[in-house]
Amino acid sequence: MKFLAHFTTALAVISVTLLAASPTPASANPSPAESPPPSGEIVRPFIPIPEKFIPAYFGKRPESYLIDPQKLLSPSDFRDRLAFLNYHASDSAIDLFVFVIGADQEIPAGVKLDEIIGRFFSNGRPAVIVFYYPNSVQRSTLLLSPSIANTIPQTEQRRILESAVMQANRKSNVSEQTEQFLVQVSIRIYWMEQMISGKSAKNDKVPHANLNPALSKSAAKAAGFAKLQEVVMQLMIPAAAAFVTLVIIALLVAWRRLTARHFFPVHQVETRLGGNHAAGVGAVITFASTKVPPASQREQVSDFSRRF
Amino acid sequence: MNCPRCVQRIHRAAESCPHCGFSIADADAQFGIDPVQIRCLTDSAGILRRRDRQSVEAAMEKITRRFPQIFVALYTGSLGDAANIRPFSFWLLNRAVYEDAPSGMANDAGILVTIDPESKAATMVFGYLLDPFLCTQDIFECLSRAHPYWLDGRYADGFLKALNHLEVILRKKFKKARRDSKPQNPKPLAPHPAEDLGKGVRALDQTIAEPPTTEEATS
Repeated sequence: MKFLAHFTTALAVISVTLLAASPTPASANPSPAESPPPSGEIVRPFIPIPEKFIPAYFGKRPESYLIDPQKLLSPSDFRDRLAFLNYHASDSAIDLFVFVIGADQEIPAGVKLDEIIGRFFSNGRPAVIVFYYPNSVQRSTLLLSPSIANTIPQTEQRRILESAVMQANRKSNVSEQTEQFLVQVSIRIYWMEQMISGKSAKNDKVPHANLNPALSKSAAKAAGFAKLQEVVMQLMIPAAAAFVTLVIIALLVAWRRLTARHFFPVHQVETRLGGNHAAGVGAVITFASTKVPPASQREQVSDFSRRF
Repeated sequence: MNCPRCVQRIHRAAESCPHCGFSIADADAQFGIDPVQIRCLTDSAGILRRRDRQSVEAAMEKITRRFPQIFVALYTGSLGDAANIRPFSFWLLNRAVYEDAPSGMANDAGILVTIDPESKAATMVFGYLLDPFLCTQDIFECLSRAHPYWLDGRYADGFLKALNHLEVILRKKFKKARRDSKPQNPKPLAPHPAEDLGKGVRALDQTIAEPPTTEEATS
């Protein structure tokens, strides 16, 4: 089993390499048939997508992020993948549309993808459009909506697809392959966003000329948050150290105050009224009635005077 | 300085009150001449419950722990008349032998609180050790803190409040005493106006007693 898995991975890598070597792998109208088949593989001619499904695929702007009119994915797979794509859309500024096409099918020559992408995806949020072939993942192609097509270089687009195919090929099950593929594309879209926001501009040298304003805004917001997080993380340790020091000092002061002992200086005092220890100096308060508050008793008078 | 009986001002070294003639002998005649042996917490009136006694004793010990020269005593009892409470406290602090007072500590270092639940009066007096530091107003402030509790009959709570405030005051007085005891360059005191007045009066008396001679008068 292990050997089989390694073999599959090796095959996938070879396929991806071959795909990468093709002149326009992510071009507007990819033709997977152009890429030479791996040695030893039986070459089968691809059949075009049946005519009746063409309108569902390319007739209008997709209303769902997962387009599978032929029901190539099982219902549960479809539901799970769609849920993931919806989640991705809620979390990312770039939408991900996935067209599911049969492994032995191809996009008819009459369909101009350039034109379709331009027509349906020029407005609204930027999008990544993937043509995904279950059981033949390496044939998958990736296109970008016009708003970001010029921002992301072809090499980067190719890299996204390669990594997604590689991740998918690590799994043998079709369902898991699809899941891995989409997850990887979603991750790469995140980095694409970061790249657009300028965080990794130094490394990737991505121009910002055609940046969508909505994307730019959200990306700037994300970058600002990341910067703030970084600053907070940097200040966290010194602040915690200062806080702990202050608490220790406060505890020491409190402990010292609690355990402090006070000694009054002893003075020689003359005895009075014959008292050897005290002269009766002090104060008296009565609490017989609430009508006589302490304020009215402040002036100490004799009981005789108080009565009269 | 006030007399315990008539509360009139008396001289610092008066052997008896110049106004009413009160002295310890009068108190002895009233309350007894023999020393009385009691405990620091003596609840003759029976106004403290067992739990109250524990908290009261703890508060008294706390004062001694903070101020090792001082101890606090509490006496509760019916004295018959509110007028008796002041001379009684004076007499008790002089004549009592506190069997559980910290060893080697005379009553000079004592602070005695007396509560008479019958006449609804309480007093606090202190020995000679604290004489230079405390005044009547300080003590009255402590008793004022206890007043609302004593009105409700919560004697232990009131006493604890009074002791808390006493501790605050003692700490302040200690700081002041320490500050004052530091060596300084004291400024020469200005002569008291009364002394000048006295000099003038004496000079006038002398002049009247010895009239100037004719020569001095002519010159």
